[in-house]
Amino acid sequence: MDTGKILKKPIHMAIIRFFHENQASIDTPRGIATWIGEDRSKVKAVLEDLVKQKILTAHRAASTTGYSYTRDMELVSKIEKLLKSYKR
Amino acid sequence: MADMEENREQTYQAELFDKLRKSMNLKREEDCIGCLIKPALWWMVEHPDPKVTDIERLVGDGCPCLKNRKHKNASVCAHTIIDSINRAFQTKKLSKFICVNGLHGFVYPITQGDKVYGYIGTCYTKTDVSSEILDVFSAFTDTIVREAQKELELSKLYETLRPRAIALSTVHTVHRLISSTLDLNELLPRIARLSLQILRANRCSIKLVDAKRKILIPKTTVDLREKKTRLKKVKVGKWAPGKAVKFGRPIRGDNYLATPLIDEDVIGVITIYDKIDNKPFSSFDQEIMSTLAEQAVIAIKNAQLYKEQEKLTMGSIKSLAKVLDTRAPGAYVPRASFVKISVVMGQESRMDAEEIKSLEYAAILHDAGEIVVPDEVLTKPTKLTGKEYAMVKEHPAAGVEIIKHMKALKSVLPIILYHHENYDGTGYPKGLKKDQIPLGARIMAIVSALESMITKRPYRLVRTIDEAIEEIERNSGTQFDPKVVTAFLKTMSRKEIRSMLEKELYGHR
Repeated sequence: MDTGKILKKPIHMAIIRFFHENQASIDTPRGIATWIGEDRSKVKAVLEDLVKQKILTAHRAASTTGYSYTRDMELVSKIEKLLKSYKR
Repeated sequence: MADMEENREQTYQAELFDKLRKSMNLKREEDCIGCLIKPALWWMVEHPDPKVTDIERLVGDGCPCLKNRKHKNASVCAHTIIDSINRAFQTKKLSKFICVNGLHGFVYPITQGDKVYGYIGTCYTKTDVSSEILDVFSAFTDTIVREAQKELELSKLYETLRPRAIALSTVHTVHRLISSTLDLNELLPRIARLSLQILRANRCSIKLVDAKRKILIPKTTVDLREKKTRLKKVKVGKWAPGKAVKFGRPIRGDNYLATPLIDEDVIGVITIYDKIDNKPFSSFDQEIMSTLAEQAVIAIKNAQLYKEQEKLTMGSIKSLAKVLDTRAPGAYVPRASFVKISVVMGQESRMDAEEIKSLEYAAILHDAGEIVVPDEVLTKPTKLTGKEYAMVKEHPAAGVEIIKHMKALKSVLPIILYHHENYDGTGYPKGLKKDQIPLGARIMAIVSALESMITKRPYRLVRTIDEAIEEIERNSGTQFDPKVVTAFLKTMSRKEIRSMLEKELYGHR
């Protein structure tokens, strides 16, 4: 997994930034799409990609899926450094 | 508190002047008015009560009067501006002045309500500035200042509301995630995992109160460090969880946070241990956890009520089944095995939890309608007459009539009504074929056939389990749905199913 490469994709970057700034958040694709101002279907696909990369965790239930940030503190601090190196 | 208020004011003032300094509209206005009152030296005082030295520093470099600070007029000039500032402060309106060198200027106060934050001023104008120009300047500047203040307020509001809105959205998501299951065994670990995610902690334990024994029964413990955990009972009043239950309020320490689950009484406690960043639990964590606990209580109560309702329904069904069994006393029916076979076939056919539950009920009740068939017909050892067979064919509809009054069994009705339909359309009561027959009924047709072949019936010899399986396989595609037959064969190949059926069937004899 190359987190640096992932962060170069704009929706990936926006979602990771959202969760990095709100680490206690658990939200649905619709909610996250609202927070970052992107299209829900695109956000949904990226969320699943980030789950595969272990940057997010998916909490799946019959009615919806909630996504939350990784608990791997090494990965969190790596993302912290990368985010600082990118301008908003 | 006063210090905090003062700090907030200072921050606001700095941000407001930062906005004004960067305001293109203010720059344009200065250029525009500057053309009319040439020459003009513009300055901005970022303080409501400036000192003479502040004015000398601010205005001095551009103003010939103040440039040479040793000049006897310099101090007088700065005092003139200060006097004008004081008038603007008092009146909250533009104030004009003429300096000692006979040059004109004015001071405009930047206000919000009664509060003055600073001033925009000009000097070094050779002629008096007309009141029309000053009116235009006042009106424009006021609009620009209000715009900057509005922008600031909006950004403050955004900064305050956004984290709260995100937290609210999290609570809403958690509510959706935990309300989607009514199975306590699934619900409690889910609540624990979500709590750990939100509080960024390592371990969560949920205990429910046994009011009679005054102890807390551990129901689930999740430790994300993969540590082995023990489910320990705790007395009410002991340790953090026991105290949270006893006092009905959260108990917080550096590495634990116990939050009571309060309905009308305290029904349990969620305890979180060890934050992943090793920081102590905060009052914000406590607040979030209390909100989460409120959601959890509703979900737990719903799941408990559902379980109670399910027990009642199952109790009624079993009672009814007992009554039905008395119709044919010699025929022992290994119900538990048939229920299990139906459930596993439902799982093999990828049915959801609700559909499988209906199948479970149907496995017990599918022949409830036989109660309307006379005993002599049911127990007749010889071939039935046409009239008698017509009576037997009535039993699915009769079963529906009996059961339809129980609302909880609504989804069971189609399974009962159509479980004698054949895949090729030769069955009864409607002669449905293939997918016209509900999947549950196609499953029940096989379970019912197995049941009648391997249990003792007055009208036929009992077959062995293997003989019955072969017979069902032989009728795949005609009497039975081939896909469901495959699911049946998979089910019967499972050791635990086979031994359960054998034990119940032959162990009973």
